[in-house]
Amino acid sequence: MDAFYASVEQRDNPTLRGKPVVVGGDPTQRGVVAAASYEARTFGVRSAIPMSRAVRLCPSLIIVRPDFDKYRAVSQQVFAIYREVTPLVEPLSLDEAYLDVTHNTWSEQLGVSVARRIKQAIKDTTNLTASAGVAPNKFLAKIASGWQKPDGLTVIAPERIEAFLQGLPVDALWGVGPKTAARLRAHRIEKLVDVRTRSLDQLREIVGSAAEWLRDLSLGIDDRAVDPNEQRKSAGSECTYEKDLTDISRIRAEIDEMARDAARWLDRRNIYARTVVIKVRYDDFITITRSQSDAKPTRDAAVIAARAGALLEKTEAGRRPIRLLGVSVQNLDESDSTRSRRTVRDDEPRLPLDF
Amino acid sequence: MELVARKADLVRELQFFQQIVERKNTIPILANVLIEASGNELTLLATDLEVALRSRCEAAVDNPGSVTLPAKKLYEVVRALPDGDVKLESEKGGTAVKVSAERFESRMPTLPREDFPSLPESGGAAKSTIKGTVLREMVAKTQFAITGEDTRYYLNGALFVLRADSMTLVATDGHRLALVNAVRDPAVKGAEDVKAILPRKTLSELSRLMTEDIDVHYERGENHLFFEIGPRLLISRMIDGQFPAYEKVIPKANDKRIEFERDRLTSAVRRVAILSNERSRAVKFVIDKGKVEVTSSSPEFGEAREPLTVDFNGPPLTICFNAQYVQDFLSVVECDVVALELKDDVSQAVMKPVGVEGYDYTYVIMPMRV
Repeated sequence: MDAFYASVEQRDNPTLRGKPVVVGGDPTQRGVVAAASYEARTFGVRSAIPMSRAVRLCPSLIIVRPDFDKYRAVSQQVFAIYREVTPLVEPLSLDEAYLDVTHNTWSEQLGVSVARRIKQAIKDTTNLTASAGVAPNKFLAKIASGWQKPDGLTVIAPERIEAFLQGLPVDALWGVGPKTAARLRAHRIEKLVDVRTRSLDQLREIVGSAAEWLRDLSLGIDDRAVDPNEQRKSAGSECTYEKDLTDISRIRAEIDEMARDAARWLDRRNIYARTVVIKVRYDDFITITRSQSDAKPTRDAAVIAARAGALLEKTEAGRRPIRLLGVSVQNLDESDSTRSRRTVRDDEPRLPLDF
Repeated sequence: MELVARKADLVRELQFFQQIVERKNTIPILANVLIEASGNELTLLATDLEVALRSRCEAAVDNPGSVTLPAKKLYEVVRALPDGDVKLESEKGGTAVKVSAERFESRMPTLPREDFPSLPESGGAAKSTIKGTVLREMVAKTQFAITGEDTRYYLNGALFVLRADSMTLVATDGHRLALVNAVRDPAVKGAEDVKAILPRKTLSELSRLMTEDIDVHYERGENHLFFEIGPRLLISRMIDGQFPAYEKVIPKANDKRIEFERDRLTSAVRRVAILSNERSRAVKFVIDKGKVEVTSSSPEFGEAREPLTVDFNGPPLTICFNAQYVQDFLSVVECDVVALELKDDVSQAVMKPVGVEGYDYTYVIMPMRV
């Protein structure tokens, strides 16, 4: 969906149409942009930037507080359309999904015809526009979908893959963030196809375990199936504080609370996590993460909180003012082979054992 | 090294190693299985440094030697081969191994044999013999009560006590406790008394390995335990520490006893638990003359109840349990009738199978506040 949250707001409120609109938090309280309308984007406003900066970039910016219930409802309408076409729908977020339309209920021969009909159905149902990418695999389809926003439709036919790859900068890839891109550039890998000039061993030295994946993508190879049951890979929360935190006991309490939140999330889904990650952003915007993995998955609130707390000791919390804190759990795992693996809960009565 | 072995033999043995090797190995060699060929057999060895497994199978050895190969890939390759002979052959000065059968050929890189950790040798102390079937039952009935993760590392395993005439396995997570006592056949010879905490992984490997009715020869080394199960040897680190004095929490004065048909109780708890509070999983047993009503309620989901007819004449009593704890017990006993023994609504309750022979199974649950 194009500028999803912002488009929904513009659809529902005619006075917002044609104007720079963002959905997000309060600029005086360190909110961030969750979505920006195309009008706002011409000012350089993008999602994930601080709202205060967005307002500086575009003084006439209209800020709308998010209404996630509404976005979820629209999302359900859109996903219902996808699922009419094929059961092979892999959601990426509220407004993005991969569809495998090799076989589709419309018996369309061409992917592009399916895409065109889906876009029309979305328009008819929600009065919103979507952009689609049609390609032989997920990696190419994802990039193609972003090619001609808004209301775009980009097709990469097999014979055009090579020409398409030739034009891609290395940071066009999903999963290649600014850090990795900088590392690659330092090795004079600017374009995705430059990756091919290096051996796997050389690539491993630059990007570690992502080497093979990167090399495959540089050749246009991606054989991941569209998986309708694709599970979440991590969960957590973060918070930007109105005033920088300097009191270490307050910081510890915040981390503890977020860790327990993550544990509750695991508990509700009956799953476990092996890795605990904390994120700290200092007042100068330098952001660091610290993580710790354990062979045994857990969802015990006390354990996760203890591990997050220990990670906090590896930061300069208390010595430098902190703007943002976050805790997440990753490496999620269904229970292991032992049946009904459950963790000890603090609030349950205990056997009177002497420990 | 050069040898030929039967595919079926190799697959059978390699499958036992799949859970032993590290899933996410930080030390590459721990993903490998060490294969040593000599005489007319090959031995296989793998470890995650907590447990180790050694096994062997017949082979025609043309050239003795040893290699290490990735346990998972080797298993997958061999499993995919046609029935018949499989040839393993060192190549490239020992840096690769060719695995071939019929027209299929593959090469896998090896890791140096010297990197493979050396494993403790059994000291040749006197061995105790345990009936494999009994040990397997004991593991199944206690394993689930080991805590998922506890900073009290001595709870991350089960206490194993071996005496001349009895053996005991007990596990607890601090909220419930599972205890099995079995009588030992006086005809089989016993060594000295043994008391050791076995890690969770050791228990699951033991139950995996005890597939046939075979005796287990057990020996205690300095820091390790050795279980000889037919042709295989499982070596386990011992958890160092003092297991809590579990005898003290087993109630002696539970004067109220109610017997249930296991199937009915299982179904009732399972159904009622669906609408229990998602976090506490609390189900109530509302006990009155001649009946027990299993009930649950939660603000978000609603409520459920199912009465069960029982033979009970005592005073009314309501006691509350975590449904999961009750279900764990019910799913590992096979008898038709189970007993619930109570004192009051705040003291430890006991569940037991009724009418079983050969072992005593006691399951202690701490009730929740009603």
